[in-house]
Amino acid sequence: MNSPFNAPFTTDGLQAKPPVVSIPDQVAKMKAALLKDIQRSAYVYRVDCGGCNGCEIEIFGTITPVFDAERFGIKVVPSPRHADILLYTGAVTRSMRMPALRSWEAAPDPKIVISYGACGCTGGIFHDMYCVWGGTDKIVPVDVFIPGCPPTPAATIYGFAVALGLLGQKLKTHTHIEQEGESVPVSHPDIPYKLRVALEREARRMAGYRQGRDLVEEFLDQLDAKAAAPLPERMKRFVANQEDPRRAEIFGCLEGIVTQAIGG
Amino acid sequence: MDMFVQDRVGGEYLTALRTVLPNAIVNEEWQTPRQVTITVTADALADVMKTLYYEHYGWVSVVVGNDERPLNGHFAVYYVLSMEGPQKCHIVVRVEVSAITQEWPSVTPVVPACVWGEREVRDMFGLTPVGLPDARRLVLPDDWPDDLHPLRKDAMDYRTRPAPTQDDETYEFINDAKQETTIVPIGPLHITSDEPGHFRLFVDGEDIIDADYRMFYVHRGMEKAAEARMGYNEVTFLADRVCGICGYAHSVAYTTSVENALGVVVPERGQAIRAILLETERLHSHLLNLGLVCHYTGFDSGFQQFFRVREKAMVLAEVLTGSRKTYGMNLIGGVRRDILGDQAIETRRVVAELREDVNRLVDILLETANITGRVVGVGKLDKQVARDFSPVGPMVRGSGFARDTRSDHTFAGYASVPFTPRSHDGCDVLSRTLVRIEEVHDSLNLIEALLDVAPGGRILTEDFEYKPHKFALGFTEAPRGEDIHWSMTGDNQKLYRWRCRASTYNNWPVLRYMLRGNTVSDAAVIVGSLDPCYSCTDRVTVVDVRKHSAQTVPYKEMERYGRERKDSPLK
Repeated sequence: MNSPFNAPFTTDGLQAKPPVVSIPDQVAKMKAALLKDIQRSAYVYRVDCGGCNGCEIEIFGTITPVFDAERFGIKVVPSPRHADILLYTGAVTRSMRMPALRSWEAAPDPKIVISYGACGCTGGIFHDMYCVWGGTDKIVPVDVFIPGCPPTPAATIYGFAVALGLLGQKLKTHTHIEQEGESVPVSHPDIPYKLRVALEREARRMAGYRQGRDLVEEFLDQLDAKAAAPLPERMKRFVANQEDPRRAEIFGCLEGIVTQAIGG
Repeated sequence: MDMFVQDRVGGEYLTALRTVLPNAIVNEEWQTPRQVTITVTADALADVMKTLYYEHYGWVSVVVGNDERPLNGHFAVYYVLSMEGPQKCHIVVRVEVSAITQEWPSVTPVVPACVWGEREVRDMFGLTPVGLPDARRLVLPDDWPDDLHPLRKDAMDYRTRPAPTQDDETYEFINDAKQETTIVPIGPLHITSDEPGHFRLFVDGEDIIDADYRMFYVHRGMEKAAEARMGYNEVTFLADRVCGICGYAHSVAYTTSVENALGVVVPERGQAIRAILLETERLHSHLLNLGLVCHYTGFDSGFQQFFRVREKAMVLAEVLTGSRKTYGMNLIGGVRRDILGDQAIETRRVVAELREDVNRLVDILLETANITGRVVGVGKLDKQVARDFSPVGPMVRGSGFARDTRSDHTFAGYASVPFTPRSHDGCDVLSRTLVRIEEVHDSLNLIEALLDVAPGGRILTEDFEYKPHKFALGFTEAPRGEDIHWSMTGDNQKLYRWRCRASTYNNWPVLRYMLRGNTVSDAAVIVGSLDPCYSCTDRVTVVDVRKHSAQTVPYKEMERYGRERKDSPLK
């Protein structure tokens, strides 16, 4: 058998690269046969190669009562020797490469390898660092990637189902080709650009990126609305009609900016 | 930096120090009214540290190394002391290390709490602490080249990865036992939770005589990553990834450190939101630990129940931040998401629900007879050991010291709400668990109180400029204790140096003393009571020194024995 313990490292510029363990054809065939007709529960062994804990805790969340992966027959086991699925989390660090390989070797064939979380999939935010070899696929062949930082319990269960061949991978591609004369419309073209930027910035400082965006859109729609009443009166009514005092405060601020712009 | 001379706190310590050691202090520089950095002569370093630590009630927070050769021709080592006597402040003792000799006198022989910090400076900068009793590596892997020190400015590209020279670990474990002992290695991979680490228990029969451990299996080089390829705001998101449970605390500590260095004043509403999110994090972290205590003592239905209830804390996080982890919420100058009316109402509803659920579960937990049987008097953290090694969080609070950054060095929104730190005197697993239980209730109360007092206004200020080579500390009370960050801004829109110290870093060194004198079956519950970002065992190999035989005990068996405490697998 191709032992991961003896294969040589290759060097690419500054970086040594570990060899990826290869799977004999026979084992690949066994795996295909297993996945085609898997009529039993699957045991999972968790290998932390250098995760921050976020992934580990979400896996915990997945196997405890609220999400309860065990109802699908998915059970976390304490030894790789019992495992059908190896679940690798975290970027592979220098110190954890050998323990990770040893657990891979300990699991009986045919085994399924899942790479879990952003760091497991690619090395994540730690890519290329001096003490990190990269994602799980840099040392062992990976069957399924579950991305996320960290993946939610729902995503985890979905990933298990994909790994076991119960569900197909959802792949959707959409290619958009620009037509002649097609252009992205400018939002709120009737509102002066400088005023709009001032409003958006203030909304961000008051309510943050996501909610600030939502609130300022709501406010700009009010400004744009074609109505009989004059603008200052409309704005006043809009602010006064807010039930939530915090929203009223934020819209009040935006109103102040508009009033100043009109007055000055 | 004369603007706040009037408000300065901690000047008395320096006056006292000048009386005892007249020529020790070379320079004094105030970063904030409660933060001062003093440069001392190398000869006087140990005396200064000893005086501040033992005579003025200081605690070592972190030791920071810095390669300042491009700035002033020297290396520097900063010892951060949290002064918790009558005047609460931080004193940073800085000593310059010659670029030629690359040596400085170790403080560890007089203040044991510096041991890990000095070992780390030796690994990362190649400086020699003369007189440091422990000559082993701490952070870097065993096969890392001896002459390559990642954090030296001229050492290497951050991408450098030498090929491994060997696959075996060569770390030497220390055993202080007088009699013959059996070795029980635990880890580095394990089932129950979290990060890898390797333990060696030295046992005689069932009794643990001594213990040692090798951590840092997951050293990924974050500090280098921050200095080499990230801007100031990106590092807040990197700091989130220091820890998957208390990441937000790190993020707040980092942003606070940069804000302190630059004198940025974060809007009060932003501060209150930070505190609310920190308490949310404490909720799910403490509930996790309470669940694990149940698990280790064989009360598995309690474990499942605590995890069921913990999911409500995750719902709370989702309401407040949009995701189950409180990640990506900070920027330097404030936060990225407001709490609107609907969210505040939902938060109060979930908090009320949680309070009721936790009350019921805690009643059940404390009335279960075999829980008390397993946690009373187990894993004693002696008060003197605690004083010597500066542990933090529920660990030290379970040994009678009411150290809590939230009250000692108020930060974020905590100044605006009433808060008293918790402590228990038992020094055992029970005390630490009780502290956590009380803190869950405190967190629930704090969230409500903070929602009540949070003022209006902005959540983010963008009205500041980055200035080069300014440095300061930032700190938070994470669920596991004080997190402390030291940042120095650079001249290229990147940090010159970032030192991030997680709370568990200060707690590991005392574990050895807590394990001594207990039985093997208590090891899991003791390690669990540390609430490390890591717990327990996946497989245990028992090597009997006397019989020269090795026997592998599967994790299940070890765990079963931990719960039932009969039919020892070691016999």
